[in-house]
Amino acid sequence: MGSGRARLQVADLAYTYEGRTPTRALDGVTVEVGDDEFLAIVGPVGCGKTTFVRIVAGFLPPTRGTALCDGRPVAGPSPERGYVFQEEAIFPWMTVRQNLEFGLLAKGVPAPAREPIVGELLGLIGLQGYERAYPAELSTGMSKMVEVARVLATDPTLLLLDEPFGPLDAQTRARMQEALHAVWAHRRRTVVLVTHDVEEALWLADRIVVFSPRPGRVRAEVRVDLPRPRTLETRLAPAFTALKRVVWRELGLGEGSRA
Amino acid sequence: MVTAAASAPVRRALVALVALALLYGVVSEIGSRVLPRRIWMATHYIEDVELTPRYASLAEEAVFLVRAGILQASVLVSSGRVLAGVLLGAAVGLPLGLAMGRAAGLESLLGPWVAFFRFTPAFALLPLYVLWFGFGEGPRVGLIATAVAIVTLHGAFEGARRIPRVYLDAAASLGAGRVLVLRRLVLPAALPSLVSSVRIATALAWVTIVVAELIKPAMPSLGYLLALAGAYPRVPTIVVAIATTGVLVLASDVAVLVAYRWATRWMRRRVG
Repeated sequence: MGSGRARLQVADLAYTYEGRTPTRALDGVTVEVGDDEFLAIVGPVGCGKTTFVRIVAGFLPPTRGTALCDGRPVAGPSPERGYVFQEEAIFPWMTVRQNLEFGLLAKGVPAPAREPIVGELLGLIGLQGYERAYPAELSTGMSKMVEVARVLATDPTLLLLDEPFGPLDAQTRARMQEALHAVWAHRRRTVVLVTHDVEEALWLADRIVVFSPRPGRVRAEVRVDLPRPRTLETRLAPAFTALKRVVWRELGLGEGSRA
Repeated sequence: MVTAAASAPVRRALVALVALALLYGVVSEIGSRVLPRRIWMATHYIEDVELTPRYASLAEEAVFLVRAGILQASVLVSSGRVLAGVLLGAAVGLPLGLAMGRAAGLESLLGPWVAFFRFTPAFALLPLYVLWFGFGEGPRVGLIATAVAIVTLHGAFEGARRIPRVYLDAAASLGAGRVLVLRRLVLPAALPSLVSSVRIATALAWVTIVVAELIKPAMPSLGYLLALAGAYPRVPTIVVAIATTGVLVLASDVAVLVAYRWATRWMRRRVG
């Protein structure tokens, strides 16, 4: 894991939001993500982690630096880099099936070929029998999983997840993390997960990059050498807690009380 | 189901009708006894005019109008004009509004014109339309279509413009082209706004038709029936014509409302 050639190569990335008082969101970020590696980015609110994935997704042109996916520079959004939004981006007027099919429709895949792909994805997220349901009938967590599956339908080389379970309560989030873990175990690929939740990052990722407060810079890299498949026991293991301590320290927490 | 979706607005319309009918019954019973029966018209008094005709007189008048075929023919002709005007107006207004909502260039080009005509009463165009289209169906349908086009254009414009950015971004990152975005995103997202603008436009079409039918008035039509009855005067005919128009407005509103509920069924949470 994490070995092999780099899928994503980001070098000296910087981004400044223009305006009356320009905001430097990112400054000189260099990150490489290997083939099939699960990378998590954690950092304080406003550290530019969303800006980082939005640049990689192709929604923002960087102010400075380069982002290469499979050796090619990122130029605009593409189904090659599947992006799951922080906001709710499931299409509410489409059924679950129509949502899952959308990327295939855009690619011009004919109906008979779409059928098995959609069927497999429904099974993967445990929503068989719900293909004709509208998003309003699903829980927030499940509709997020539909968004993940919708992105996977076109088989992207890179999966970008921007705080996918941000607004969920802790229990639902843990359940969704398990669902995501199961999907990833089935469909191994390169993932970049942005999250503010250290436990989420540790439980899912192979490696964690910690961003500094604004402007975002890479403050530390933490390798997560926890065995897979990960379970509830993983969350409770001493090794997990030890890694948690390292990441929290890198985030600069717990130092205030000592001072 | 359409029938299930329809039941609520239909029930509300029926309650309104029954309440109105009861109220009129009371008013007419009192009015026919209290109000004077002779009125001053133009140059002379007209004797024995029932200003608030009772249901007995109305029924008698309705039976006469139906036996003579006047009421059916008027309803048919006026409804046909409303339908033609709404279809024509919506066929122009809806696509243009959608296009304006999606293309900034078109919006700045057409925006001021829409703003100007939005608050211009359609009737102000009447003399011009008669000159352009002559007497006949042209100016009548044209007037309705103009009023409908402006309302639906605005509804479609707002609907197309208010689609949340995140949906367009999601579609772009899934590789969707312009046509797919228009068909699968813009159109359904704007649909509630489209249909509600058609609803307003249909009501407006009925307001417009009665006046439009005063252009070179010719039987049969509801507008002309009203004008003629007013000139005689035949109050029962006026009341029957008003009631008929009211029922037609209500019926067409319910029809559009049913379409609206169908178009927005994805908004309602159902038990999965």
